[in-house]
Amino acid sequence: MQIQLPYAGIVLLIGPSNSGKSTLLRSMIEQEVILSSEVISSDDYRVLVSNNDFIDWSNRPRDEAANLMDEYSSISAEAFMMMDSVIEARCRLNKLTFVDATHLHSEDRKRYIGLARKNNIPIVAIVLDIPENELLLRDEQRDKPRGKKRIKQQYQTFKRERSFIKKEGYLSVYTIKGTDNLEFTRRNNSLEKDIQYGIDIIGDIHGCYDEMITLLDKLGYQKDKDSLYLHPEGRKFVSIGDVMSRGPESLKTMLFFYDHIQRDLAYMIDSNHGWKIARWLDGRDVTMNHGDEKVIDELSAYEAENGSEKAHETKQAIKGFLFQAPSHYVFTKNGVQTLICAHAGIKDDMIGKESETVSDFCRFGDTDGNDGKGKPIRKDWTINHQKNSTIVWGHDPKPRPLVINNTINIDQGVVFGGALTAFRYPEEEFVSVQAKQDYSGARDNPLEEWEKNRLNPPNLGKFITGYSVNTEELGEIKIHQDIVKPAIDTVSHFTIPIEQLIYIPPTMSPTPSPSSLDDYLEHPKEAIDYYRSQGIQTMVAEKKHMGSRGILFLFKDTESAIKHTSIESLGVIYSRTGKRFFDNETEKRIVLKINQELHAKGYFEKHNTDYLLLDAEIMPWNLKAKELISSQYAHVVENAILDRTKLIEKIEVAVGQNEELDVWLEEYNEKLNNAHVFNEVFQKYCWEIEDISSIQIAPFHVLAHSNQTFFTQPHTWHMEQNHEFARQSEIFVETEYKVITDEASEEDVINWWKDITSEGHEGIVIKPEHYIARNKGKLLQPAIKVRGRKYLNIIYGMDYLLPQNLKRLKDRNTGKKQKLALKEFALGIEGIQRYVQKESIERVHECVLGALALESDTVDPRL
Amino acid sequence: MQLSIQATGDHVKAISYLLSKNPNNLYERNHKGHLVRLFYSKFTDTEIDVTIFVSPDPIDLVKNNSNSYDITHYINDREFAVSSIFCSFIRSALGTALNGQPKEEHAMWVNHQFQFQFELGPVASSLSDQQIQDLFEPIGYEVMITRQEIHYSFHMKDESSARFISLKGMQTLQDGLRHLFILIPVIDNYKHYFIDEKEIEKLERYGEGWLENHPKRDYIYRQSLRFKELYDIVENKKTKVEQVEQVGKVRLNELRYEKIAATVSQMKPKTIVDFGSGEGKLSELLGFVEGVQEVLAVEPSQSATLKALRRFDKIKDRDKFIVPETLWGSLFYYDERLKGKDVIVLCEVIEHIDEGRLPKVMDTILDDYQPGALLITTPNRDYNEVYNMEDTLRHKDHRFEWTRAEYHKWCTERNHQKNYDLQFDGIGEEHDSHGFPTQMCVFIRKVN
Repeated sequence: MQIQLPYAGIVLLIGPSNSGKSTLLRSMIEQEVILSSEVISSDDYRVLVSNNDFIDWSNRPRDEAANLMDEYSSISAEAFMMMDSVIEARCRLNKLTFVDATHLHSEDRKRYIGLARKNNIPIVAIVLDIPENELLLRDEQRDKPRGKKRIKQQYQTFKRERSFIKKEGYLSVYTIKGTDNLEFTRRNNSLEKDIQYGIDIIGDIHGCYDEMITLLDKLGYQKDKDSLYLHPEGRKFVSIGDVMSRGPESLKTMLFFYDHIQRDLAYMIDSNHGWKIARWLDGRDVTMNHGDEKVIDELSAYEAENGSEKAHETKQAIKGFLFQAPSHYVFTKNGVQTLICAHAGIKDDMIGKESETVSDFCRFGDTDGNDGKGKPIRKDWTINHQKNSTIVWGHDPKPRPLVINNTINIDQGVVFGGALTAFRYPEEEFVSVQAKQDYSGARDNPLEEWEKNRLNPPNLGKFITGYSVNTEELGEIKIHQDIVKPAIDTVSHFTIPIEQLIYIPPTMSPTPSPSSLDDYLEHPKEAIDYYRSQGIQTMVAEKKHMGSRGILFLFKDTESAIKHTSIESLGVIYSRTGKRFFDNETEKRIVLKINQELHAKGYFEKHNTDYLLLDAEIMPWNLKAKELISSQYAHVVENAILDRTKLIEKIEVAVGQNEELDVWLEEYNEKLNNAHVFNEVFQKYCWEIEDISSIQIAPFHVLAHSNQTFFTQPHTWHMEQNHEFARQSEIFVETEYKVITDEASEEDVINWWKDITSEGHEGIVIKPEHYIARNKGKLLQPAIKVRGRKYLNIIYGMDYLLPQNLKRLKDRNTGKKQKLALKEFALGIEGIQRYVQKESIERVHECVLGALALESDTVDPRL
Repeated sequence: MQLSIQATGDHVKAISYLLSKNPNNLYERNHKGHLVRLFYSKFTDTEIDVTIFVSPDPIDLVKNNSNSYDITHYINDREFAVSSIFCSFIRSALGTALNGQPKEEHAMWVNHQFQFQFELGPVASSLSDQQIQDLFEPIGYEVMITRQEIHYSFHMKDESSARFISLKGMQTLQDGLRHLFILIPVIDNYKHYFIDEKEIEKLERYGEGWLENHPKRDYIYRQSLRFKELYDIVENKKTKVEQVEQVGKVRLNELRYEKIAATVSQMKPKTIVDFGSGEGKLSELLGFVEGVQEVLAVEPSQSATLKALRRFDKIKDRDKFIVPETLWGSLFYYDERLKGKDVIVLCEVIEHIDEGRLPKVMDTILDDYQPGALLITTPNRDYNEVYNMEDTLRHKDHRFEWTRAEYHKWCTERNHQKNYDLQFDGIGEEHDSHGFPTQMCVFIRKVN
């Protein structure tokens, strides 16, 4: 007899004691059909938990027998509990397990059937049907006979239950009369495929045959004489399902896949439409709608053209091939599972398993009832994907490939007028072909729906108890509940609208260690040394303007703004805390002026973009800080000058009488001078604001266009852009910069820093050449500020350079600031990437809110 | 921070005995890094000038300061201005004079009045020159206040906020110093610095003989003891300012809550959401609505929510009262807990939101939460004329106030899906042509 063993699952042996279960399994182990670790025997577990596998109470007085029975059943209960948890663990891990126990009672069997179902693995029954007298004979011959009475009882039970077994829900039931002439075959996991020379996974085709052929061309497949598409490198293409329905050429596309799969040139997985068509072809009662009716039309036309016999043959072929499509594929690279393809998604614990539940999940995804209009409400399974394997899926059209949490959606709705995407693996590249038209004729086009819902308010529940952001640059960043609430409060009361607030700039750390020079607190040397020690050879030093940080989100026109933010405006300018920088009227005028300048340069057309996102410094300082300057800086320095001047006057009168007063006079002359320096320094950053022509903006990062980000560009490029903006501009100003490559250029930068800071300029910012810099995989500080000696007066007080003060101020710790800078930097990049990828505003806001929350944490603000 | 004691006339040299400071020496004491220094710049038979000043350690001074997480932490007028800190620094140096206990042979000068001129400063004070004069003139001084010229590269302020005070008068040294030790802290812009407990105790002792009858006695006491009463004083000031504008407003608030509660009652709701519930006054009323099973008080402010919880707790055992549940929430996010309620109330909320952000908020409420009814109240700008308010708004956080026509238009636009019937109403005392002070719109969801 041939016995088919599944790749994984439970094999239940059923039969009374002495029916030969253990003997059969032992011989299978000996023949190396199975491993000893694949056998779980109740007798073994009785020994494990109690040292005994059997207790004999026959021929005992009644009271003794009763107590021995008690003991035995306690042992059995413990043994089965241990056994079951081992079996379940093996089920979870997708292993094959033989359970060696009598399984005479239906509740025992049902427990395992439930276990198998819960874990989405098959269960097989092998029934050993041995005559009673044979059983009794064997019992007499064994070491510890179970006794006649018991064997007879067991046999009676077996006889009664035997006929029910078939209907209990096993994948298959094998009834054997003896253990001779048995042949076992073990299957491999048919879901597992090696990627061999690489695969190209193609999103939902929906009968868009032309686009599919164009895509295969683009991927490098070549048509051979049999009209088969082969790749010169031996790559194979994989359909993520739904090759048919909704679109123009479903039949042709299905036959195309049929032909290629027959010849092992391609793969295709099961999907909602595929399954429906298969069931319809199987004559079952299904409603052919949502574009399935088009398949019927095509098949009728085919029949009209080719006759019913040929049509029948074709239908049978298609039906078979659709039913055979696996729920999902697990692709392996060098024997390791790395990538999963599932049409509508999959849960981690289903990967590599086969069951109706798995198939259903893969076809329809995580659904939760209907929305009232007959459409399923889709739950987001992607957030629960914890494993490192990449899950590629389709089914739910998104305007662009959507990468979330190691899942990649590649259904770009070609049939709805979107695009057909291929994901090349292991290269991890996207290749896509635009649809020639919208073929669906659907009233609620999902791509348009997506666009419409993209800017919906974020779900409060996702943030309120704290959350994590998975960033490309720094992995998971945790945002604790305590800092989320104040950030949400800020967003609710003070910031610009969520749809416009797509980026919060990161904080910037000063030099990790204070200057080694006696009379400096900060010096470029320490910043340069930091980067050199991290393996960075080329750095860019940019002059740091002293104003207020501002983010400019500028649109080509109001239509573009509505498209991207749903808010009609030419742009918005906001501070690093997300608040509107100017009053509405001023903002409008400035934004209009910039818009005109950019149009005059043909900026939007040249770069084919709807918007421009800039990181900038906005001057003068008094624009934002007038109140603070007046009540703090001016007030304090007036007091200082008055105090010190008056004292000097008094001391000068007396100095002739007492030489000791000379020291005090000298001290106060120096201090008065410090006060004058302070007075001079803060005014340097301020000037009269007559109208918007008094305002200067120095952009230093071009963060994004509607079609791309610029984080791969070096800072020299960003500076060139700055100069381009400043050219013939009345509002943008140039930023001086220098490149550090060697000692000479380092010296040059240090001298330059000394020159400009001695005139009172704030200082410079030193950045690694590349926007995102790493050392041995570790993210480096994106920028380090080095402030001038004079400027630091307004931070650390006018007498900070007095040796007794400087010594103490040098004892500062930038560690927390640096950590924050990295987190905020990663969040900033992540948010912009998501926004440009047109992900939902909720996914962008996750990053923005995170940065705002981190900023509400306390760090020494003078750093 | 400095004080000069100048005196002219006969016997002025005796002052050095009263001070117990040798005119030939410099005096310097290190007080935890802060240097208290004194020197004479004049010492003749008829004229003396002695200056006591402090060179503080600026870093130690701000060490325990409450704004340590402020960018201007080190930028601080405390280093310079005469204040209670100055008084504590110089107290021991001037102890002999203050207590009037020189060596016995000089005791005769303790009660001798000299022609003094005290110069002190800089003074950082929110008091006007006149107010400062009013403090010193009644106790026998001629007051002169000077400031330095300021020249800034851009317009920022009209005059310097640092002043120097000169006080001339016939006084005993002890009285003069006692006046200063009480009045310097009174004048100073008190900022988060400790008032030495002893200093408070000394208020009575130093004020003996002059403070009780000072016309500004109450003010001086209040300012001196403000450390203890800081909160009360702040509160009092606030209510005074606001009371002026709020004549009749308190009553309007109550009328509004009553009207809303009455309107809601008629709808016989089981579930009510009070958005922007603040301290919970309206939610409390809604908790008494007959048949109601759930009142959600949604508010983002933690402190307001705490007050609301206390309010609810006080009456939680009342008959037929459903204790409102406080929710931390925001109009700018989607919150599935608010879906499908019978009534949502936005009482005086929308005018605190930038107009441009409102349409989205309203779409979320009307299309996603889909309440059976939505009540919105907001000020009626037409009515401001009754208040003679011209162009000002009723609250400084109001982003707008709408006329009845504007509100009507806005509500109609918000109902663009036409899923609701709108009913307009008013709250408060109706004016013939300007309508009610508060306008209300009720959106009632059509059965569909």
